[in-house]
Amino acid sequence: MFSFFNKKSSAKTAKDRLTIAIMSDRQNANSFPNMDAMKAEIIEVVKKYMGVKAIDIKREVNGDMEALSIDVQLDNK
Amino acid sequence: MGIIIAVISGKGGVGKTTTTANIGLGIALNGKKCVVVDFDIGQRNLDMILGLENRVVYDMVQVMDGEVKLKQALIKSKMSDNLQFLAASQTKDKSVLDSQKILNLVTELSKEFDFVILDAPAGIETGYEHTIEFADRAIIVVNPEVSSIRDADRAIGILDSKSQKVKDGGEVMKYLIINRIDAKMVQSGEMLASEDILAILSIPLIGKIPEDKGIIDASNQGKPIILDNSSLAGKAYSRISARLCGQEVPLENVEVLKSGLMSKIKGIFK
Repeated sequence: MFSFFNKKSSAKTAKDRLTIAIMSDRQNANSFPNMDAMKAEIIEVVKKYMGVKAIDIKREVNGDMEALSIDVQLDNK
Repeated sequence: MGIIIAVISGKGGVGKTTTTANIGLGIALNGKKCVVVDFDIGQRNLDMILGLENRVVYDMVQVMDGEVKLKQALIKSKMSDNLQFLAASQTKDKSVLDSQKILNLVTELSKEFDFVILDAPAGIETGYEHTIEFADRAIIVVNPEVSSIRDADRAIGILDSKSQKVKDGGEVMKYLIINRIDAKMVQSGEMLASEDILAILSIPLIGKIPEDKGIIDASNQGKPIILDNSSLAGKAYSRISARLCGQEVPLENVEVLKSGLMSKIKGIFK
């Protein structure tokens, strides 16, 4: 009887598990922990040598490959 | 200028190529000029599904590289005068694709055809990214099953960040096709219902296709199932094709079991 009940609601289980998995996939797509701290540190390092206007850090996931793309905009005045 | 539509799924084996062949033919049967292009470099299959494998002489990579003219590589379908096909390269790998060359190819195709349909490779790597790069619209094919839906969401995420339309500040129109629906299983709560899938993916639905054993027979013969007027999947593809051509066709609920007297009688004679 119990196993019959489980079988009956497996679509509901699928929906709940998917909702959580996809939510976490979407969150992880472009950010990662301590991103802001890392941003500040990189700015400090670059600033030692040249002017920095802005910095943009992105984590890019492409299949099995993950890359960190760091865009430093220089202050050229 | 014709409309460029990429058919995508993320996960493989959900019916992407079958869908491309059927809606391509369906659009052509609706009187619109349509070309279907296989972007699955190295794993060419659309030619088999369309029954055109013996007529492939040149492929899209040779056209992109300027080795042959587009007209030489396009293959006319015998099933409709409005349908033409451009094969993937079977010998090269995905690294041969190049953004500028793809743009040139799809631009040239969209001048000649009302609809340019690109069959994307499975996965979300460079071959996939190149397929969606210049698409105006995307058809996302999923099965009512967790891995297909999750992978589709990743593919949609990449579509929304890497397509040229999005980079230019626009949006790629998206349509969802739920394929291989087993009405019995949905009714008994063993299979995700379409409203659940729509709530998770939040993109508009353009059609639901029931599980149909006739699909195997159709691909065995190289005759898309849309040509079989008695097939449930074929009828579903006809409705989707009409919707893509701008006709208002109400959504049929394929998730409800048809247990009318007629189908019971038919069942006896099966």
